[in-house]
Amino acid sequence: MRAVGILLIALLITTFGAVEIARLSAAQTEAPGERARRILREVDDLWRGDSSHGIFTMQVKTAHYTRSMRLEAWTKGKEKTLVRILAPLKEKGTATLKSENSIYSYLPRTDRTVRLTSGMMMGSWMGSHFTNDDLVKESRMEDDYTPRISFEGERNGRKTIEFTLIPKPEAPVVWGKVVATVLAEGYLPLTQIYYDEDMAVARTFTFSDIKPLAGRPRPTVMRVVPADKPEEYTEIVYERLELNLGIDDAFFSLASLKRH
Amino acid sequence: MNILSFAIRNVKRNWHRTLVTTSAMGFAGMIMILYASLMEGLFQASERNAVAMDLGDIQIHAHGYRRDPDLYTRIADANHLVQSLQQAGLHATQRLYGFGLAAAGSSSAGVQLRGIDLKNETTVTQIHRHLMQGRWLDRSDPHGVVVGRKLARTLNVKVGDEVVIVSQATDGSMANDLYRVRGILKSVGEEIDRAGFFMIAPAFRELMVLPEGAHEITIMRPERSASLEAATTAVKTLAPRYEVMSWRELRPLIAAILGLADTHILFALLVTYVAVAMVVLNAMLMSVFERIHEFGVMKAIGFGPGQLTLLVYTETLIQVAAASVLALLGGLPLSGFFERHGIDLSAFVSSVSFAGIALDPVWQAYVTRRSVVMPIVALFVIAGIAVIYPAVKAAVIRPVKAIYYR
Repeated sequence: MRAVGILLIALLITTFGAVEIARLSAAQTEAPGERARRILREVDDLWRGDSSHGIFTMQVKTAHYTRSMRLEAWTKGKEKTLVRILAPLKEKGTATLKSENSIYSYLPRTDRTVRLTSGMMMGSWMGSHFTNDDLVKESRMEDDYTPRISFEGERNGRKTIEFTLIPKPEAPVVWGKVVATVLAEGYLPLTQIYYDEDMAVARTFTFSDIKPLAGRPRPTVMRVVPADKPEEYTEIVYERLELNLGIDDAFFSLASLKRH
Repeated sequence: MNILSFAIRNVKRNWHRTLVTTSAMGFAGMIMILYASLMEGLFQASERNAVAMDLGDIQIHAHGYRRDPDLYTRIADANHLVQSLQQAGLHATQRLYGFGLAAAGSSSAGVQLRGIDLKNETTVTQIHRHLMQGRWLDRSDPHGVVVGRKLARTLNVKVGDEVVIVSQATDGSMANDLYRVRGILKSVGEEIDRAGFFMIAPAFRELMVLPEGAHEITIMRPERSASLEAATTAVKTLAPRYEVMSWRELRPLIAAILGLADTHILFALLVTYVAVAMVVLNAMLMSVFERIHEFGVMKAIGFGPGQLTLLVYTETLIQVAAASVLALLGGLPLSGFFERHGIDLSAFVSSVSFAGIALDPVWQAYVTRRSVVMPIVALFVIAGIAVIYPAVKAAVIRPVKAIYYR
């Protein structure tokens, strides 16, 4: 039994080492733009993979209320997302389905499913600092932005890489630019600062509390602070995350929206 | 006296021309009385729809609410304030506003949720009588709602259909509930038609988790003749901590357009009457040229230029007076008819909007002293101007030349 364990560990080390060596050698030969894109792709895949299932809590603090929710989410690719409220009791069962470019909400209180109109897209998603539009346009940075490495080296005692992302002209993005910082080791995201079209800071994402999650260390806490209301925030804390489960497309249907 | 009998004789002598000129003027006058009455009706309906349906005379908001209509920017002591306004002899009601998504079947639309204080609202606005279908809100039916005309069409709902509302409550939770359409409003204003979703205040408070306060207090003077400015000042002293504005300040554009009613009618009169002026000018010019020989003789036997001018003017005056009688005889009953029956435009357009105020598709005239007097006075003025040239022509005739004029 013990031998099997050691064998497994050895195997893991070898595999991981091989991957690491391959990556390092690749880094030496590839073009700078290519490298930036590859790192971004890894960051994008960090929580989503091909498909994902996770449980997280979301805490929202605004000038008017503080609320905490426990949510369960499934994703597939970047087009499909289903989020269901587990707690509080008052809103339990409320679910949001994002499929292609539409958002549907299932409301257990009225047992109705509602499709959000374009007018509601800039509205808050479940009272948080995310808009419904964030959910629809949840973009892969690699697809929508042209990245440039704007800093690489030691910052706050950690080796970091900073990217400046300029939206591609045709990308459906409302931001002027995004500045993303990742740890040089493992490419774990640290911050993402979103600038509006006038290049003023609009909101800041901070990633922290790196813990093993779905098989590797990942930041488990993500906090968003809107620039115009610095005392407010929305914080997402991952409890559980499983990646690449092979969820069926049919799962992201209006019928499963209602299922409890 | 002499001049008058001369003039009457002259007018009678060429009665064909007199008939044509007089009926042209009379017809134009009649049409202008009708037009002015219709415009008067339009302005009256606009003001009524703007003020009596929604806006009220005076509104109170918390500072900053109008710039950013935030659910949290409220008048905290609204109950108390409404009471003290009512004690001061004004009609007042409090209102709650929120934004949400309404969905019915597969259609959905953004709506403006309006929480209505049933008892007080009826003293302030007439909206409860302005229903196209169904009935107004009722205390006993907390889930019964009244929706705007275009909204009903967008959502494809009729009276009795279900509508789901989704919004964000004050505690950040997802506000949602099921309502049933009780009534659909007639056209009131662009905002209400497109997005108005009326519910009783307790239902609004429950949905939005909003136990107290109000977003707006709307006030109406009990007497329309009372001064709006004085009432506004009175309200300001009662609500010193809030923003108090009269409807003229709230909707300066509408106020300005309605204030321009006189100018507007006058301008239309001017345009129409230029044509009338040409008819008059032509007729009088002809009658002068035709009688140059006669005028020459008159001058030779001692008529002065002033007397000839007076003669031409008197002839015109007689014709305009006759035309005015025609205009009144035709215009008053015609306008009266359209005041009673209105012009139904619904066959051509689904809604009529004027200066951003939606109007009933039935356009009613409104006969006022102004709408009758202005066209008649304008007719006299225009004819008086048109006849200057023929009159002067007659006055400056040299007798010898005129006598030999062929």
